[in-house]
Amino acid sequence: MDILNTIFVQPFADMAAAPDFLLQVIWEGLVGGVLYALIALGFVLIYKSSRIFNFAQGIMVVFAALTLVGLYEMGIPALLAVPLTLAVMFALAVVVERVVLRPLVNQPDIILFMATIGITLFLVGLGETIFGGENKVMITAELGIPTGSIMLEPFGGFVSIEERDLTAVVGAGVLVASLLVFLNRTKIGRAIRALGDDHQAALSIGISLSTIWVIVWFIAGIIALVTGIAWGARAGVSFALEVIAYKALPVLMLGGLESVTGAIVGGLAIGVLEKLFEVYWGQPLLGGNTEAWFAYVLALIVLLFRPQGLFGERIIERV
Amino acid sequence: MKTMLKAALLATIAAGLAAPAVAQDALQLPNMSYRTGPFAATGTPHMNGQLDYMTMLNERDGGINGVPVAFEECETGYNTEKGVECYEKTKSEGALVTQPWSTGITLQVLPQTNVDEITVYAPGYGFSAMQDGKVFQWAFNPPTSYWDGASMIVNALGDGNPDNLNGQKIAFLHLDHPYGKEPIPLLEQLAEKHGFTLLPIPVGLTEMQNQSAQWLQIRRERPDFVVMWGWGAMNAGAVTEAAKTRYPMDQFVSVWWGAHEPDLRLIGEEGQGFRALSWNFPRSDSQVMQDVKEYVVDAGKSQIDQDSGEFDSMAYQRGVLMSVILAEAVRVAQEHADTPDISREDLRWGFENLNLDEARLEEIGVEGMMAPFSTSCANHTGNASAWMVEWDGEKFVKVSDLLPADRETIDALVEEQAAAYAEANAPWPTNEECDQ
Repeated sequence: MDILNTIFVQPFADMAAAPDFLLQVIWEGLVGGVLYALIALGFVLIYKSSRIFNFAQGIMVVFAALTLVGLYEMGIPALLAVPLTLAVMFALAVVVERVVLRPLVNQPDIILFMATIGITLFLVGLGETIFGGENKVMITAELGIPTGSIMLEPFGGFVSIEERDLTAVVGAGVLVASLLVFLNRTKIGRAIRALGDDHQAALSIGISLSTIWVIVWFIAGIIALVTGIAWGARAGVSFALEVIAYKALPVLMLGGLESVTGAIVGGLAIGVLEKLFEVYWGQPLLGGNTEAWFAYVLALIVLLFRPQGLFGERIIERV
Repeated sequence: MKTMLKAALLATIAAGLAAPAVAQDALQLPNMSYRTGPFAATGTPHMNGQLDYMTMLNERDGGINGVPVAFEECETGYNTEKGVECYEKTKSEGALVTQPWSTGITLQVLPQTNVDEITVYAPGYGFSAMQDGKVFQWAFNPPTSYWDGASMIVNALGDGNPDNLNGQKIAFLHLDHPYGKEPIPLLEQLAEKHGFTLLPIPVGLTEMQNQSAQWLQIRRERPDFVVMWGWGAMNAGAVTEAAKTRYPMDQFVSVWWGAHEPDLRLIGEEGQGFRALSWNFPRSDSQVMQDVKEYVVDAGKSQIDQDSGEFDSMAYQRGVLMSVILAEAVRVAQEHADTPDISREDLRWGFENLNLDEARLEEIGVEGMMAPFSTSCANHTGNASAWMVEWDGEKFVKVSDLLPADRETIDALVEEQAAAYAEANAPWPTNEECDQ
């Protein structure tokens, strides 16, 4: 009886008793969800245009953030370090396309996937050699990102909102909106979508595969930089940022590998739901740390009913 | 041209194959490092300290008693599977000791080291019951164990009397990993003995940098103290969340790995009052550190980041002390064996007969950097005391004398857990001749 009470009654009683705390939980989940969605977007864009599951997305976040902080430590002003970091990410996109992807055109997907694991290992070594493994402080204030907090007092309690988290949410929103406009309203965006739909058909009408790959990997680099700044502002910049990429995997399972909308909705849903479950059910019932598996279980349940994910395209093959 | 290239390639391979033959003349003391991955931030300065001390001995003294030290690193990324690979690799290369650098790897290789007769050296980490030398003949975790650390922290929180914690609640924020769970059995006993409530809060690997759920739980439960057993990015994540949650920093205490300046610099003055138990305290003007500076750092042979103040840091100098203890065990073994070329059994004897008293610490040049301790056949830890250090906004300062641990409770748990381990891994050889 106690267990039924803990599952079905107590969590909702707690929510009603402390609505300010509930709002705080939802806000924290939302912030995490936005950042999961950003990482997932990096995966989706590359998958859409090239059918490559980019294992290197996580290390690109680390590499972009380390480059930004590294350039600043070299004496370059923060606001100049940002475009320079973007230039480095563009150079990385060109090198990846020339050295890794182009020689592997027409190879099976698994070969390309393995190649991205190779890129990951290379970037880990390169990053460690250039920047070292120590935790570095993100140049949050130098970039003009506010670092204070806003204290709201709803329902006689309090909700604390960090200004840097708010900036991350707004920044991510702007980035996603720009991406959607870019993908849907520009010629290059349509070319990326065309490649995602049918490689052969896209090539036959003159779309350059190599140009699009460079652009897509560069966009993934921009997303990596934004994600790196947002996460780095929370707990520093180190190779630990790489592991947050794993959090994007259930988002992709839930939202679908090819859907920009899926990445956004999936990221937000997982962020909020895993936080609610952890705080109201996981900690009292299971001793906590349910965030490590909750998202995967949720994604698996969705896959049982929709194998292509919530927003993925249904694959129909004639036999 | 092709023939020349082939010849050059063969010559390179031959030179590579010849290298181990030269290395045989050195003391093989490999280290399982992790300079990459999510734990590199705390791993790297420790490993730099360990390496630089051995380099200094090679440069200053030609090694230990004239035998150079080969301190090769094998990268594990704090991954247990890779750690086992490194163990097998270094064993086949003639390693005298294995330094697993992870409680998970230590637990994994522990049974095999007993068969292979290689000393496991886990300074200040690993399975606390390794203190029992009768059961763990080949395992050593000086100068102090996690159970010693947990007990000292409880003593400090109770202002010298843990009974003062009666009725209070202590949240135990820990990495969800064998290392993070290690002190729980002791803390549970201390909670029962002294009447406080223990609230374990695990942090998963993927949540290290986003601990909002854990700190929301802390906000809801309102514990009187938070004790942290974190590592790598988890510590930095925790201190930033604590500052964000406005949790009183003077009620937030960590084990020694939390005494890590780069983590606290993330929050600077907001971290004032944060405390950590530490078995070492940096002294850059000590003889050893000055020698490391002269022979290694200034000579351009160190990998440290001088601009960030790594040389003066808690972690780097802790790493130096880890190698000081290892080198001392080698020296004791050489004297006992009456030869500079020691065997694995000799080194085990050296570790069992460490006597780093005040006089010896001064002779080595590390006085004031760590508490004296000694090991024996029966006690493989040494149970050195530790200090409480506090972040003043810029650096850690010492805020306590050496703290005592609850020997009665710890020793009883050591005996119980060691016996349980031997039984679970039967047949497990024990050394019944140990009586002290």
